[in-house]
Amino acid sequence: MAAAVGEVDNTIDIPGQRAALILGGHDFGSLTAAACAPWEAPRPPRAWYVAFTISVALLAVLGAMIFYLVFNGVGVWGLNNPAGWGFDITNFVFWVGIGHAGTLISAILFLFRQKWRTSINRFAEAMTIFAVICAGLFPGIHVGRIWLAYWLAPLPNQMGMWPNFRSPLLWDVFAVGTYATVSLMFWYVGMIPDLATFRDRAKTKWKQVIYGLLALGWTGSSRNWHRFERAYLILAALATPLVLSVHSVVSFDFAVSVLPGWHTSIFPPYFVAGAIFGGFAMVLTLAIPARALFGLKDIITPRHLENCCKILLLTGCMIGYAYLIEKFMAWYSGNSYEGFIFRARALGPYAWAYWTMIGCNVLAPQLFWFKWARTNLVAMFLVVMAVNVGMWFERFVIIVSSLSQDFLPSSWDIYHPSLVEILTLAGSFGLFLALFLLFCRFLPMIAMAEVKTVMPHADLHAHPHAHVAPHRAFDYNPDEFDAGRGGAAARRSPRGPS
Amino acid sequence: MKHGTKPRPPAGPELHGLLAEFDSPGALLTAAERVRDAGYTKWDTHSPFPVHGIDEAMGIRRTRLPWLVFVFGVLGCVTGLALQWWTNASDSREFSFLPAHLQGYAFEIGGKPLFSLPANIPVIFELTVLLAALATVIGMFAMNNLPRHHAPLLAQERFKRATTDRFFVFITAADPKFNATRTHHLLSGLGGSAVESVAASSEPAHLPRSLIYATTIVICLLLLPPLFVAKARFTKSAEPRIQLIRDMGNQERYKTQQVHALFVDNRAMRPQVPGTVARGDLRDDAHYYEGKVSGDWATTYPPQLEISESFVRRGQQRFNIYCAACHGLGGAGDGIVSQRALARDTPGWTVPTSLVNQTVIERPLGHIFNTITNGIRTMPPYGDQIPEQDRWAIIAYVRALERSQNAHLEDVPVELRPELR
Amino acid sequence: MNPNMPQSELSASRDFRRPAARVAGVACVVGIAGLAAGVASGYSAGWEVFFRSYLLNYSFVLSLALGALFFVLLQHLVRAGWSVSLRRLAEFAAGTLPVLALLFLPLVIPLWKGMPGVWMWSAPDVVAADPVLQAKAAYLNVPFFLARCAFYFLVWCVLARYYLHQSVAQDTDGQPRRTLAMQWWSAPGMLLYGLTVTFFAIDALMSLNPHWFSTIWGVYFFSGCLVGFFAFLALLVYLIQGRGQLASHITVEHYHDIGKLAFGFVVFWAYIAFSQYMLIWYANIPEETVWYLPRQGDTWWLSVSLLLLFGHFVAPFLALISRGPKRRPGLLALAAVWLLLMHWLDLYYIVTPRPSGFAAPAAPLHLTDLTLFVGLGGLFVAALVWPMTRWSLIPERDPRLPEALAFRNI
Repeated sequence: MAAAVGEVDNTIDIPGQRAALILGGHDFGSLTAAACAPWEAPRPPRAWYVAFTISVALLAVLGAMIFYLVFNGVGVWGLNNPAGWGFDITNFVFWVGIGHAGTLISAILFLFRQKWRTSINRFAEAMTIFAVICAGLFPGIHVGRIWLAYWLAPLPNQMGMWPNFRSPLLWDVFAVGTYATVSLMFWYVGMIPDLATFRDRAKTKWKQVIYGLLALGWTGSSRNWHRFERAYLILAALATPLVLSVHSVVSFDFAVSVLPGWHTSIFPPYFVAGAIFGGFAMVLTLAIPARALFGLKDIITPRHLENCCKILLLTGCMIGYAYLIEKFMAWYSGNSYEGFIFRARALGPYAWAYWTMIGCNVLAPQLFWFKWARTNLVAMFLVVMAVNVGMWFERFVIIVSSLSQDFLPSSWDIYHPSLVEILTLAGSFGLFLALFLLFCRFLPMIAMAEVKTVMPHADLHAHPHAHVAPHRAFDYNPDEFDAGRGGAAARRSPRGPS
Repeated sequence: MKHGTKPRPPAGPELHGLLAEFDSPGALLTAAERVRDAGYTKWDTHSPFPVHGIDEAMGIRRTRLPWLVFVFGVLGCVTGLALQWWTNASDSREFSFLPAHLQGYAFEIGGKPLFSLPANIPVIFELTVLLAALATVIGMFAMNNLPRHHAPLLAQERFKRATTDRFFVFITAADPKFNATRTHHLLSGLGGSAVESVAASSEPAHLPRSLIYATTIVICLLLLPPLFVAKARFTKSAEPRIQLIRDMGNQERYKTQQVHALFVDNRAMRPQVPGTVARGDLRDDAHYYEGKVSGDWATTYPPQLEISESFVRRGQQRFNIYCAACHGLGGAGDGIVSQRALARDTPGWTVPTSLVNQTVIERPLGHIFNTITNGIRTMPPYGDQIPEQDRWAIIAYVRALERSQNAHLEDVPVELRPELR
Repeated sequence: MNPNMPQSELSASRDFRRPAARVAGVACVVGIAGLAAGVASGYSAGWEVFFRSYLLNYSFVLSLALGALFFVLLQHLVRAGWSVSLRRLAEFAAGTLPVLALLFLPLVIPLWKGMPGVWMWSAPDVVAADPVLQAKAAYLNVPFFLARCAFYFLVWCVLARYYLHQSVAQDTDGQPRRTLAMQWWSAPGMLLYGLTVTFFAIDALMSLNPHWFSTIWGVYFFSGCLVGFFAFLALLVYLIQGRGQLASHITVEHYHDIGKLAFGFVVFWAYIAFSQYMLIWYANIPEETVWYLPRQGDTWWLSVSLLLLFGHFVAPFLALISRGPKRRPGLLALAAVWLLLMHWLDLYYIVTPRPSGFAAPAAPLHLTDLTLFVGLGGLFVAALVWPMTRWSLIPERDPRLPEALAFRNI
């Protein structure tokens, strides 16, 4: 059923026509079968087992490291007196950033009517939730006495104390908590129709029961669809400012301080752009192998990958802009502390991290100006891996370089991560990948109901006669449009000729 | 097939409705328009994805969900504002009738006002979004009658493709215009691929028994932690709390009055060796260390001190650090601590003594020294913080304050008088 | 190619040439009269007041043109279909940039001549007394400033002319390759646009208080440009349709989308403005709070600040959040007028308060603010409407025009 990639090139741009988003000549039935195949296969591909074993091993390492940390205290990390934040908060910001792409694709691209998002939104949303779980872990364990972490919540208590709402760290609790809740709901609500598909295709009693419970009795009723679509639109409209707010609040953790290199007003949009950048890199990191592994090349087509690359280029340029403005203002402000920290980043003890960041985040994505890089899987994968590394280093540079060299040279100290921190970071990838692999196997990885709406077969309202042959690379052309245009001309302008 | 849905007879004793199947969304759209025009009201169409234009074709009214979302958004906004005002900025004295753990707690951080609106915006925003999103999802579920445990349609074998690639029109028998024959006729004429009747299900769907047991057990287990919390909340115990993780509060060392078998007297803490004095602990000069001369308050400075201007300046510096907060920079008992306490009507506040009135002027030096060392009334002792020499320096400065605060023109040397204004 | 468009509909927009010429003529006369009145009132109020008012109103019209240029670039960058029937109007608005480049000259001629203008760093005696300005002199000096401004306007004029001319040329030859060329240039164009707008905002507006700095400043100015532009676009479409034009090309669906974009950028503006304010308020560093102090110091400016908060964010947020007003062109046009007013107020809030070391005039609002608004606004409208006498109001043969005509919101 699956056509080989490259058989039909849907990355060519012909003005006036829209490229097909689903290749391989699918109709609704074969598309559903293709999207359900990873779940319906008697057992997953061997690579899945290999990846899952490695992930679970890393997850075990994470568990051991957390256990060790809790019983011995944060002294097992390499934190020192000026550098009170190190890998812990770097990892937190890194994972929260990754967690932005899913909601961006689901919400913002939805509001912008980007139909191509339908093929990738479901697993990007899942990735978001798993990344937020990884992110939530780090502030939770870095507080030291983690059994008192509930003090962050505004609960009446015998001490008569409340949290300090003027602290950005508390805003984080609300922002990340809200974000986790809303993205979970967004993910689940969007998944209900596809869970119903699973329910109806399930072959065993247990699967019928479990997916039947998860699908909540969805029947695909149009009256339900109407409210469902409204709710989805509203959730998208709520999630869009939410996703911006979350990384803005994370940036406030740094920017409300008076520390050079942290306190600067561009931080909120700069962090948001960086989050989208890092998140899209992770989407591609997972999509490139997943589409090959699960036979989804007709659904996640070269065009989808190319569009993601373009977004990477755009957001990469945005953070390049932020780096530039930051550096320029550090000089322009005439503030010698600010100027010092930016010189120290480029030339000081963390220069290697800084130049890794610049190379991976600003220079590497520039390859995407060229179409061959946007359509060549190897080039693409190398760039997105560079971006994954670069975005981690961005947070590391911001956090550690500013902390370790602040106003008082006598208290400077270089931060070295301990083995525990390095293994905790590696373990968090285990948690992330293990959850993701389970998701690929047991939940609908493709938003089938949404993909069907962008297939040419579904587009019958605008031009009822236009049954486009689905194997063509383009589903739309002005000649066919001609007869359908009657509908548009018939709709009167709100203000007719006066 | 395997799970017990039997094919229904075409028209059972209890007819739930009639179902027509279509191949494409276009056919569904046309059919929906026809059913709508035929005047049916209790009917629905089912499709694997939202069909564009079906709302108009069926005459579905726009949902009121957005209004619900708006109301809850406003509620979230107000909640966020009220929560932050209540917990961080409300005056707990005005709400003293409430239990202490529900009163607000005003604490000052970084010089920010207690009620700092710019700092409150993020939490207000998050709660607005949270409540609005919850209202969206819960409202949508409620309006759609979700979750529903069972629907007769779901038992229909043909209907399984409604979530894959088939499109259905379903008219319920409850519709006032419903007539088994005529409705069947209408549906057959719509160009669908099949029409069949749906029986109202007599047997409720069963969940597997093991699932029910497992769920019950999990719920019972989930109830345990809150029960433990409740028990801890309402019972008292003399036992120290369980500490799974050794904290700094529980270090491996001996405390005072503990038993240790190493020593003959079994005491872990060791007394001083008889006849010895620790370095720096010899305080045999009563005048210098206690302010007493042969049992009475000393009226002179100890002879080893040289009362010079630098000595008085040292006293001024120490006074401004340790004493002025309460007694005031001029010694009149009007320090900022006292001013704030008076402004806030702090219950039980005793106004600090004025150091420049006649009582203190007449007080012997040794008496003042003793007051600094050991405290008096509500004033805490400062002996541990201020070394003896500095205490005497403070006294010298207090004497200077007494002079200056009660000075007359004649006290000023003639040559300095022109500088006065 | 678009052979489907009935000629009658297209010729309708050709009937517009005569009224357009009339509007352009009247606007030109009004503009020149306004400028003359501005010079007259500036003569009595002092040149410092005059130049500030000029900069204020100049930034206003420039921001609309820059917003339009962004819109044109963006539509090509994302290959948008829905907006094609609106794009020509934006191209016209961006096409005013060469005229605006000329109108920028009065602000820089004093610098060239060594006279004190609005930018205090250009006065050598001020710099000589100020070590901070000496440290910035490598950037804030007259020749470099002029060179930078020349570069900004060069980039903008080239981009605006290129997109207008390609689009107009496509009206005659219908070549799809023009669309591809415009798309190709939109990405580097966007990069140049982002940098030039940022540094223009820093040079022209931030350096009014040369001690002060904020890294988000370029984004703040940009967000204001977009709020202003989308309001202006809604109003423009409403007025043109009021003359019986574009009745079937621009439908309620397009109004809805313009409304959504205006709403979105209102929120974006609030987000950026809040980020800047909150971070500076929270850190409370004197070298940063110095910008906000005169803007909250007295009753007048505190009122302006609060009016911005409620008028530039809260009121339009509530007005545009629901579907109804965005789909009622009359209401949307009303909201657009309000938003334009608020956008002007935002620039007034940026430009007018004097930094410490500058004597503030007796009245915070001067007659020149109004006369120059009429003057520059009139000339802007004339430059905008004049091309309508030559070219069609829509890209007639854009390959994606059918999509725009068939466009419906979900």
